[in-house]
Amino acid sequence: MAAIPVPLPSVKMAAVEKRRSVVVTAANFTDGTRPSVSRAAATTESEEDFLRQVGVTDMLRAALLKVLEARPEEPISFLAHYFENMGLRSPANGGAGEPPGQLLLQQQRLGRALWHLRLAHYSQRTAFNNNVGVAYECLSASGRKKPGLDGRTYSELLKRICRDGEAPEEVVAPLLRKIQCRDHEAIPLGVFRTGMLTCFVLLEFVARAGALYRLLEDPALATADRCMGQAVLDTLEGALQASDSAAAPARYLEAGWRLGPDSLAQAMDRALVARRPSSPMTREEFLEKAAALFIAKVKPVG
Amino acid sequence: MLSPERLALPDYDYLAQRHVLTYMEDAVCQLLENKEDISQHGIARFFTEYFNSVCQGTHILFREFSFIQATPHNRASFLRAFWRCFRTVGKNGDLLTMKEYHCLLQLLCPDFPLELTQKAARIVLMDDAMDCLMSFSDFLFAFQIQFYYSEFLESVAAIYQDLLSGKNPNTVIVPTSSSGQHRQRPAVGEASMPEGVEASLFYQCLENLCDRHKYSCPPPALIKEVLSNVQRLTFYGFLMALSKHHGINQALGALPDKADLMHDPAMDEELERLLAQIPGLVNSVTASAEASCLPSRTPHRVGFSWRSLHHARKVDAESDGSTEETDESET
Repeated sequence: MAAIPVPLPSVKMAAVEKRRSVVVTAANFTDGTRPSVSRAAATTESEEDFLRQVGVTDMLRAALLKVLEARPEEPISFLAHYFENMGLRSPANGGAGEPPGQLLLQQQRLGRALWHLRLAHYSQRTAFNNNVGVAYECLSASGRKKPGLDGRTYSELLKRICRDGEAPEEVVAPLLRKIQCRDHEAIPLGVFRTGMLTCFVLLEFVARAGALYRLLEDPALATADRCMGQAVLDTLEGALQASDSAAAPARYLEAGWRLGPDSLAQAMDRALVARRPSSPMTREEFLEKAAALFIAKVKPVG
Repeated sequence: MLSPERLALPDYDYLAQRHVLTYMEDAVCQLLENKEDISQHGIARFFTEYFNSVCQGTHILFREFSFIQATPHNRASFLRAFWRCFRTVGKNGDLLTMKEYHCLLQLLCPDFPLELTQKAARIVLMDDAMDCLMSFSDFLFAFQIQFYYSEFLESVAAIYQDLLSGKNPNTVIVPTSSSGQHRQRPAVGEASMPEGVEASLFYQCLENLCDRHKYSCPPPALIKEVLSNVQRLTFYGFLMALSKHHGINQALGALPDKADLMHDPAMDEELERLLAQIPGLVNSVTASAEASCLPSRTPHRVGFSWRSLHHARKVDAESDGSTEETDESET
C-alpha cells in the first residue's frame, strides 16, 4: 500500500506535530520550513526561484521532453518510473560516500543504458534512436584509458535485455550468437544500434509468437497439436520468405497477405483435414521454431 | 499494444488528453507545500512517490474537491476510495441518510459540496422524501453516476427540461449550473399528459449531446439500451436506470459489479490483520490508506459527526508519520 505523500494542508499541522514527536531522536531533523508561514510573505517569484534553485524546473522540463518524445500510453506511470530511476541514480541515494568499485560502476552504467533504451518503443524510431545514442554514450564514457564501447559490455547488455524480456534462453541464444561481438572489439554506434533494435524486435516477435501459441494451445493439456502448430509456422515461414525477392513495399504487402486471417485459416484447415496422430508441440518448441525463422533473416555482425 | 492515434496528436493535445500537465502542476504545488520532505528524501523521490500514488489512485485522499474532480482518473479514484473505505457500512447492512453519507464523503474530502451528495440522493429517492434511509450500494451507484458524469448530467437535465416544455430539442443547449431548475415538475393540472418525455426523442438529443460533449459521458450504445426499453421516462427514472446499469458501471471501471461490491477477500484479510493489531498500538502499520481512514469501530449512525471526522484525520496524520520507515522497503 502506498503512503499518502501529500497530506492536505489542514491535516498537515497534525502531521508535522506527529512527525516532530516521532523524529525527535533523529539528529539531523530540520524543522522550521513551515511552508505556509514562509509562503504567506513570499511572492510567486520566490517560489519560482526556489524551484529553479533546487533544480525542479530543469528536472521537470527534462521529464516533460522525455514524455513527449516517447509518447507513452500511460504517461503517469512513465513519469513514476522516470523519477524512480533518477532517484536511484542520484548520489544522494545509496552509498554515495565511498567511490564504488569498478564492477559496481559497470553495473550502474548498464542499468542506466538499459533504462534509456526502454524509454521509447522501437517503433518510434526518432525517440528510440535518440535513446540508443544516449545509451551508447553512457556506456562509452567509462572513464578508463580509452573511451568507446567494447564487445564485452555490448554482449552483456544484449544478454540483459533478453533476460529481462522474459524470452526463454534457448530461443534467443541463436540471435545472441549472431549479433555478439568479440570481447576486445570496439563497437561502432551503427552496430550497437542495429544490435539493440534487432534484440527488441525479436523479443516482441517472441512475445507475439507466444500469444499465437496460446490460441493454438489446448488448455487442459498445455500443449498444441503438432500439425496445427506446424501449419502456422509454415505460413509464417512462407510470409517471411516472400520478403526476399520483391521490392520493399510489395513484399510487405505480400507478407501481410500471406499472414492474413484468410490464408492462415486455409492453412490450418488443410492441416486439420490431413491430421495424423502425432506427438503434441510444446510452447518452447513452438517459440524456438518461430524465433529461428526470424533469426535466419538477421545478418551476422562483422 | 500501441494505440497509434496518440502518436499523431499535436504535443499539447497529447498532454491535455492524458492530463499530464494537471498532475505535473499539482506535483509542484505539493512539493512547495512539503518542502521539508524534499530536504530529507530528495526531489526525485518525492516525484516518484507522487506519480506512483497517482497511478494507484491514492493521490486523491484528503485533497480538496477541485482537485478530486479535476480529471476522470481522479474521479474514478475517489469513487474507488469511497467504496473501499466504507464498504463495511454496506456489509453491516446499515442504512444511512443523505447527510450521513455526506459526512462519510467529507472524511475523504473535507470540502466536498453538499449539493452533489443531495443530487445523488435524489437519484436514489427519485426526487422524493429526501430524508429517507438508503442502502450503501444504492447510494454508491447513484453517486457514481452523479459524480463521474456531473457535467453531462447538467446538460441532460437542460435537455429534459426543454423537451418537457415542448421546445425544439435541436437548439443549442447551454448547460447552466442552476441546480434547482430540473426540479420543477410539469404542472400537476395537466393530468392528461403522461409523465416524463418520449424515450426515442430523448435518445436522439442525448446522442447528439454525446457527440459534442467535451466531458466524459456514458457510452452512447448503453444509453440507447437504457432508453430502448421504455416508451416514456422521467429524468430521475433515466438517472436511476443509468446508475443500475452494470455495463455503464463496467465502462466507468471504478467499482466492481454490484454482486461483488462486498466481496474483496484481500481487503478483508488486511482489515482483520489491522483490527487485530489495533488494541494497544496505534503506531503500527497503518500505511494502508483504506485502513487509516476506517475508524476502528464501525461508524455509528448516531454519534457520527465532525468529532469522528477529526479522529479519523488524526489517525491518518499518525500513519503519515509512520510510513517513512516502511517506504524504504516499498520502493
